Amino acid sequence: MKVVVIGGGWAGCAAALQAKKCGAEVILIERTDLLLGLGNVGGIIRNNGRFTAAEEMIALGAGDLFQIADRCARHKNVDFPGHKHATLYDVNIIEAEVRKYLYSMGINILFEKRVVDVEMEGKSIKSVYLHDGTEIEGDVFIETTGSTGPIGNCLRYGNGCSMCILRCPSYGPRISISMRAGVEDLQGLRSDESFGAMSGSCKLEKDSLSKEIREKLDRDGVVVIPVPKEDINMDKLNIKVCQQYALKEFAENIVLLDTGHAKLMTSYYPLEKLRKIPGFERVRFIDPYSGGKANSIRYLSMAPRDNHMKVIGVDNLFVGGEKSGLFVGHTEAIVTGTLAGYNAVRLGIGLNLVELPSTLAVGDIIKFENENKKTLDGLKQRYTFAGAVYFERMKQLDLYTTDIEKIRKKVDGLLLRDFFKNRII
Amino acid sequence: MFRYVDCIDAGTEYCPCHLAEKGECIICSQLRGKNFCDCLNWKGTCIYEEFIWNNKKAKRIREFKEFTIENKRLIRDDLLLLQVSVNPYLAKQLNNIGSYVFLKKPGSPLCFATPVSIMDSDIKNNLITMVVKILGVKTKDLLECKDKVELKGPYWNGIQGQIFLKNLKGNEILIVARGVAAAPCVMAAKKLIKANNKIIVVLEKGRGNGNFAKERFKSLGCEVYDVNMINYNDYSLSEEFKNLLLELIKKNNFKVTISGGSDEFHRLYLNFVYALDKSLKFATVNNAIITCGEGICGSCEVKLDRGIIKSCKQQYNPAEVFINLRGEGRK
Repeated sequence: MKVVVIGGGWAGCAAALQAKKCGAEVILIERTDLLLGLGNVGGIIRNNGRFTAAEEMIALGAGDLFQIADRCARHKNVDFPGHKHATLYDVNIIEAEVRKYLYSMGINILFEKRVVDVEMEGKSIKSVYLHDGTEIEGDVFIETTGSTGPIGNCLRYGNGCSMCILRCPSYGPRISISMRAGVEDLQGLRSDESFGAMSGSCKLEKDSLSKEIREKLDRDGVVVIPVPKEDINMDKLNIKVCQQYALKEFAENIVLLDTGHAKLMTSYYPLEKLRKIPGFERVRFIDPYSGGKANSIRYLSMAPRDNHMKVIGVDNLFVGGEKSGLFVGHTEAIVTGTLAGYNAVRLGIGLNLVELPSTLAVGDIIKFENENKKTLDGLKQRYTFAGAVYFERMKQLDLYTTDIEKIRKKVDGLLLRDFFKNRII
Repeated sequence: MFRYVDCIDAGTEYCPCHLAEKGECIICSQLRGKNFCDCLNWKGTCIYEEFIWNNKKAKRIREFKEFTIENKRLIRDDLLLLQVSVNPYLAKQLNNIGSYVFLKKPGSPLCFATPVSIMDSDIKNNLITMVVKILGVKTKDLLECKDKVELKGPYWNGIQGQIFLKNLKGNEILIVARGVAAAPCVMAAKKLIKANNKIIVVLEKGRGNGNFAKERFKSLGCEVYDVNMINYNDYSLSEEFKNLLLELIKKNNFKVTISGGSDEFHRLYLNFVYALDKSLKFATVNNAIITCGEGICGSCEVKLDRGIIKSCKQQYNPAEVFINLRGEGRK
């Protein structure tokens, strides 16, 4: 049974890993020379409800990638405006660690190969084609190509290509595989009902900041500096993908987090203005390179799916990460990717597909996002354990806890302890 | 079957073109009236971005310029060899597989412009060499040129299936050519030999002393065979030609074959060799009636199941056009 995963971001890595743990032959096809996609510039985990989600996944037996992220942490238990007990993983070392782990599990990874088309047999995908015409056959396919970019989208719905980590000009654009298979994409909306959303943070070269800021970042993981009054721009919060960081505090303050680089919690910031702030006189952007004017545009390419993560309209295609909905972040990508990987194998060997229970945050978010996405207002929301509408829901439904023992007992009570560890082939 | 969509001009200084301006770009979904990216063939630049940065206008179109004829002689009663001194830019741009230009007699109306393949481009002396078959009004007009000719270029779509010729290194390639269609095959052989490929050429003996390009192929280092390819009573491949092909295919490990002939010949030849080796890829000399070269006039359109190909600038997979692959292709 061969599972083909298209896209090697966090969701794709999780899907490939889970399909492999279930016993399938797995091939992971990645367009660039790096796994993790936007995760290479992420770095924030375990903040707010993400702590609960990570521990639920660990108890469910799908903790592999969380444990790698924990091992790569630069700071633990960091608080910053609106967020508690975050872990900040080091974006400069984590990709190599994940890659090593995936190889050790026997996953075949194709780098610098871009999937551009599908061969259909009725409503099933028979094979995918790489840009050079090479055909790759499979039994079940998982699309984790994300919803960000490419250049034309970032230009039409944003301020143009910002030269982000996705590096479309170097490796070619993302192609919506579900659309090639005949399923129309869905798009997220902004509050004014325009399409997409802009990535919500930039990375500054740490060495270009003052010694004081660098030392504070290294020590505490976080630095908060007030924005000069004339430069406060509340409108920028509306275009932001990360509604959990679209708080007043993030417009009024420069919030820096130490993820190896200095993560600046705003979509973009004109360099001249940024350099006026004490300690920022020599500052430079490291991601996106043009963080002074733009950032990548996301949520333009989601596939309609069911709660098993199967694409509606294609018999053997699953999705995870942003491709599967208006999710934000590493934790959300791993949760959705893992379920996609698991159900892909079940479908491949003729078993019924499973949903994760709503009594766990990781199951509830998948259903909540799918249900909400049906409305116009729902398309304007982003869904993350870390904040905004879904974290509120977690608190209301008593799904949010940092009590690891309580989470384990809950998973035990559902008879799901180490559920994802079981080989099913 | 792999859907091969390519515009030979995409990503060049002539892109975006008037097709983009009118929402008819071959490659870019956003320049085809769609709202989101669905790039059909990434060639290193975003055409939509180029279009926006070019103030939502097409790049400047190629225009006729007058150049000097250095050499003009009939090499057969109906074959004209033309050597034209061009500028360094054109010489370099035309030193590519599939290059062609439009030619016309100075002062003749635009409708006299005729597309002509480049057989060779000498980038040291900025001299291009072409062979024109004198067939009708346009070419007879060209024959009347004295020391000047008007030339418009560069264009590159004179050979279809260029994807299969790109990045070939250390392979064996079979070129089969008849008549004037041998001219663009000489350029292809030259470029492929530079990439350390071994080229075997089979030429139609035809009338007289064999094909005009025979000595050129030989001097490039190709292994050349002469045969009579066609039984003219029923327009089928001759036994002599078929036996030679069988022998050559058995002896060599060809990745690609280039067919230089009419569309009728392409069909006969491609089907014959495809039956012998299903893994063989094809490139074919483009025989479409090319009038504007910019994808606008419509004279070069080729109808496929998946839509219309503007073959003056758009590439196709010759197998899709000339081999009956019904049932294997996309619907």
